Amino acid sequence: MITIALAKGRLAEEAILLLKKAGVDCTAFNKPSRKLILLSPTDNMRFILVKPSDVPTYVDHGIADIGIVGKDTLLEEGHPLYELLDLGYAKCKIVIAGFPDKKNSWITHAHTRVATKYPNIAQNYFSRLGEMVDIIKLNGSVELGPLTGLSDIILDIMESGKTLAENGLVVLEEICDVSARLVVNRVSLKTKSTAIKELIKAIEKALEG
Amino acid sequence: MDECYNKRLVQDRLRELFFLSGYDEVETPTLEHIDVFTGVKASIEQDQMIKLFDPDGKILVLRPDITMPIARIAATKLKTSSLPLRISYICNVFRNQKAQSGKQSEIAQAGIELLGVSEPEADAEVIATAVQSFINLEIKEFQIDIGQVEFFKGLIAQAGMGEEWEEEIRSHIDQKNMLGLELVLKESKISDSLKNTIYDLPKLYGNGDMLKTAQKMSNNPRCESAIENIREVYSILMDFGFERYLTFDLGMVQSFNFYTGIIFRGITSELGYPICGGGRYDRLVNEFGHDIPATGFAIGIKRILMVLERQKNLCSIPTVDVLVVCERDYRQEAYCLVNKLRSDGYRTEVFIPTKQDYDYISYANKKNIPKIIHVDSKGSHEMSTIREV
Repeated sequence: MITIALAKGRLAEEAILLLKKAGVDCTAFNKPSRKLILLSPTDNMRFILVKPSDVPTYVDHGIADIGIVGKDTLLEEGHPLYELLDLGYAKCKIVIAGFPDKKNSWITHAHTRVATKYPNIAQNYFSRLGEMVDIIKLNGSVELGPLTGLSDIILDIMESGKTLAENGLVVLEEICDVSARLVVNRVSLKTKSTAIKELIKAIEKALEG
Repeated sequence: MDECYNKRLVQDRLRELFFLSGYDEVETPTLEHIDVFTGVKASIEQDQMIKLFDPDGKILVLRPDITMPIARIAATKLKTSSLPLRISYICNVFRNQKAQSGKQSEIAQAGIELLGVSEPEADAEVIATAVQSFINLEIKEFQIDIGQVEFFKGLIAQAGMGEEWEEEIRSHIDQKNMLGLELVLKESKISDSLKNTIYDLPKLYGNGDMLKTAQKMSNNPRCESAIENIREVYSILMDFGFERYLTFDLGMVQSFNFYTGIIFRGITSELGYPICGGGRYDRLVNEFGHDIPATGFAIGIKRILMVLERQKNLCSIPTVDVLVVCERDYRQEAYCLVNKLRSDGYRTEVFIPTKQDYDYISYANKKNIPKIIHVDSKGSHEMSTIREV
């Protein structure tokens, strides 16, 4: 039995499409349901639907053997997992954004205030630059930070840049590209190696075709 | 109580195996000066150590690891002992864990260190002891995953690209992150054949056949001798009949500053993290002033208990065998009898009436005690009433 943890929401929908294409029996998802654990009758597979930021936790503890989740979540949560595939969807960038007129001045502030959903990524990024910042953790609508004066800048993911533009913010720095990734528990890859390798090969094929 | 009982059973079995294998047990101080753990190429980051201050303001740590204190003992008190030194331990170590990560700060470990031999026989002995430990603990279906850090070190030394690059490559290989690895390699100015070998490293895992593939790929002496070393250890372990427990992974590159040769981890399909870990660390003892090679491993007791529980292989505490009920006038006789029973190996309890249980028969029923001896006369105590409840 292989257990796959999926990040609830849009990421899961795309993951299911991909798994179907790879020949995995996803009939369990056909009926709308509120069940959190779904069984695939033919493939001896089990799906659990969890919050995106919990996917790495389930995989790290080996409760799920495989997880599908955004790279941004992996960077933020920082669990030691095997990151085997880039699934190529949910592509976006992690950026620093703020008001254009502050573009050259915010660095000189003694303590720049950064609003973000990703406090760990922000901490790592700024400490590598050797900059002192105050990180303000928000859970959504991070753009409001500079708009309301809660923060000077934000660190967030950006897909098209529309939200930023509509709120008068610009990208000050691009940190890295992110997309959906397939991660595997370090022990499962060895103890269930045949089944997992087969599945990964099938997904790789589905990605190519 | 059941957890403690099972923990003791596990510890007793391991202690017996280590003892019978010629290892002498040590206990190192719980509190040590931080220098023991930081002056050396440590396997544990400083922020993982739980720190306190002594009255002079010096920093103490709660022992985060036992291998380093043992290396210190081997380099000082035991410096003149004849080699090899075989040392075992069963102690707790203490680490700061990420908050709310479900990991405990106090970790019960058991392990061995074999110091003074650099031959593959020593690596094989240590791995064989790990295998035998799991057999004795009645763990079903476990696997020992073996790596060799020199293979990776040989490759990056050949590349000669500097520490930052090496760390980036190492972390991608460690996570088997092919994409990240590809991107870094693409921009590196190294030969294509070396690029390909490094790129294939995360895929170099599997059974003994993988070693043949790896041998074809390695084209520098350091990598070749790493593979040769694994093969020697493998062949010894095959002679011991342990082949079916062994798998290999040359992309195992954690703590590679600490380890210098063969490394390994014990895994089972019941648990998402290893149940034991170890390997060769030839430079550590020298950091304390005595240049001898060393290898060893540690088992996580709690993890063993989790696996045993999931394999439905835990024991419940045996009930008391005999309840002795003693009348006021015959205390002396009763106590002699109790001693005799205990020395014969019967778990014997003396009945003390309480407000809830003033009747010994109902008490024995409640606690599932199968036999009662009522001492109510002088004379031969064996003759006292024994009856089934």
